Amino acid sequence: MSPRRGFALAQLDLRSFDRSCAARCHVQKPDRYRLIEALPADVQRITRGAGVSYVDASFGEDCVVQDIGAFDRLIEFDAEQGLLTVEAGASVGDVTRFALGHGWLLPVVPGHPRASIGGCIAADVHGKNPARDGTFRRHVEAIELFDPVAGWLALDADDEAGRFDACFAGFGIPGLIGSATLRLVRAPAAYAMRSLHVASLVEAGEVLQAHAGAPVLYGWHDARPGHFGRGVVRYGLEAKEAERLGGRSPVDLPKAIAPWPLCAWNRLGIAAMNGWIQHRYAHAGPRHVAVEAALFPLNEARAYYAGFGTAGFVEAQWLVPHARYADFIEALHSAVSRLRPRISLIASKLFDGDPQGLSFDGRGIALAIQMPQPRERRQAAFIEALTTLALEHQARPNLIKDSSLDAASARRGIADFEAAREQLRRFDPGNLQRSGLTARLGL
Amino acid sequence: MTAVVVGASSGLGRALAVELARNGHDLLLVASDPRDLAVMAADLRLRYPVQTASLAIDLAGSTNPGARILEALDGLPPLSALLLPVGMSRNDDDGSLSAAGIGQMLAINLHAPIAIAHALLPALLATRGAIVGFGSIAGARGRSRNVVYASAKRGLETYFESLRHGHLPSALRVQFHKLGFLRSNLTFGMKLPLPAAEPEAIARTVVAALERGSFTRYQPRWWGQVALLVRSLPWFVFRRMRD
Repeated sequence: MSPRRGFALAQLDLRSFDRSCAARCHVQKPDRYRLIEALPADVQRITRGAGVSYVDASFGEDCVVQDIGAFDRLIEFDAEQGLLTVEAGASVGDVTRFALGHGWLLPVVPGHPRASIGGCIAADVHGKNPARDGTFRRHVEAIELFDPVAGWLALDADDEAGRFDACFAGFGIPGLIGSATLRLVRAPAAYAMRSLHVASLVEAGEVLQAHAGAPVLYGWHDARPGHFGRGVVRYGLEAKEAERLGGRSPVDLPKAIAPWPLCAWNRLGIAAMNGWIQHRYAHAGPRHVAVEAALFPLNEARAYYAGFGTAGFVEAQWLVPHARYADFIEALHSAVSRLRPRISLIASKLFDGDPQGLSFDGRGIALAIQMPQPRERRQAAFIEALTTLALEHQARPNLIKDSSLDAASARRGIADFEAAREQLRRFDPGNLQRSGLTARLGL
Repeated sequence: MTAVVVGASSGLGRALAVELARNGHDLLLVASDPRDLAVMAADLRLRYPVQTASLAIDLAGSTNPGARILEALDGLPPLSALLLPVGMSRNDDDGSLSAAGIGQMLAINLHAPIAIAHALLPALLATRGAIVGFGSIAGARGRSRNVVYASAKRGLETYFESLRHGHLPSALRVQFHKLGFLRSNLTFGMKLPLPAAEPEAIARTVVAALERGSFTRYQPRWWGQVALLVRSLPWFVFRRMRD
């Protein structure tokens, strides 16, 4: 495919945030609506927002990547109802700052503040407490979508409801999301953050369930064999007054973080980091933290991601049903003791929703397990064992996080995978929308 | 006070509109597509305490774009600045353009800026305002590429020189920025021999200089050295520089 200036195509090397997937891609970077439409209707394409997905969801070989980063504007704001319409390239950090400035808040945001609104819809991301706030779909009123054949479509729960629903965890297949109307909630002045130390992941599950109503709720855990599951559950309650706010005014984490030449997360580095977490959250609190700082803790994690080095990492995130959780933890502990992988961190969250389509939702505890150098033999063996274990315990995989996941495992982990796939492709019969992710998972 | 930005929907024009709004200027945004303009205007209104209006106009097909802009200024505060970051280049501008193609290039790059400047001059003189034009490094010396584009940009530079000649800076600030490579949709994916500047950085410089008299200068400034070098090259060397 030769570069065509009419719609400005360039060849660029693109890489997933976990550095596990890379491809040389034809990229279009439209900055006006007519340039979005200029791409011939029969060209295979995928939409790219910020490009901060852990996996290759926004790029792929043999397709044109439409980078809609220039479409990042605010379109309409109803300050009475808390309805904000934005272009899909707007970042959640930018939207959050605007909303907070007017006393409102987007309750579900991913950890990376540069993630685009379109990306949040396409992946149906979860936020700081999915058990309370659900996933992103719960906070979207309407979507404007560009279909290469049908043109611009206005979608909401009443009009074209099927396609509207399909946009969430649709991974771009239903079309290019141009704008969305978001339903905001009233913002607190701050969060009063507390830290509870837990000795195991089973205890963490109990603590998470005990604080299910907190707007911020997650755990960070050590995964070394001798300390497996030890960690801290952080929960934040709405504070009426912003007294003596802790946390610096955060600078948004960059879209791409230059890796250190060597991986810092060897056994010594992992031990040091877990020691630091124990020390940092030694006091139970409460400590008042600015809303933005509480929503985007990854802003302080630049060194953590750089430390994975050039080989990157993999995050396997599985949602384990409550009934199987204790057994799963026991089996996982056993696998860790046997295979001795390097796990830099385990994050835990509580879910309490109904899984729809390919969304990462359900009822149970989600564990996000981050592992450096996933291609190393010992690491790869553990990732394979983890997938097997998770599937045996009827856990559901997060497709937008795990670049090691294959199509067969995704099908086993998501019971109605095939029906969801068919539903998505109904809106793209020409198979025009494709990415590395959709190709890998056979979507 | 109102600033008019012609070519406001992309690249430098969009960056200028944002920077002007950030500095408290009310805005009339002019570009070809009403969809882009509506979103731009809404975004600036929501983010900054400014009035914004927009005018969609096809500069290649309009014989008197200035009159349309004057009409659109009705109801806005007095005009204080006219910025003309408008331009169009084509890959096939290598001496083989048709008459229609040449007409389109000249209309957008030369006729429209001059016609708009003429129409708005009285309003700018009334407020002792500023008129800001944008040239290109391509106009430094004629080459076998960007033939009509470079001609138009050099013509525009001459027009701004005439304006400076005719008006003291105390009556009208006439500013002409000759641009080096810019990171924009026009240069996306191109392998450029020298670094491209971010439109936002250029916009900050341009807006900060609005009150600073009349001048012609390169943006970024170091492009002046490049232009001097290019102009100093002996012909037998320069004619070999095809890429």
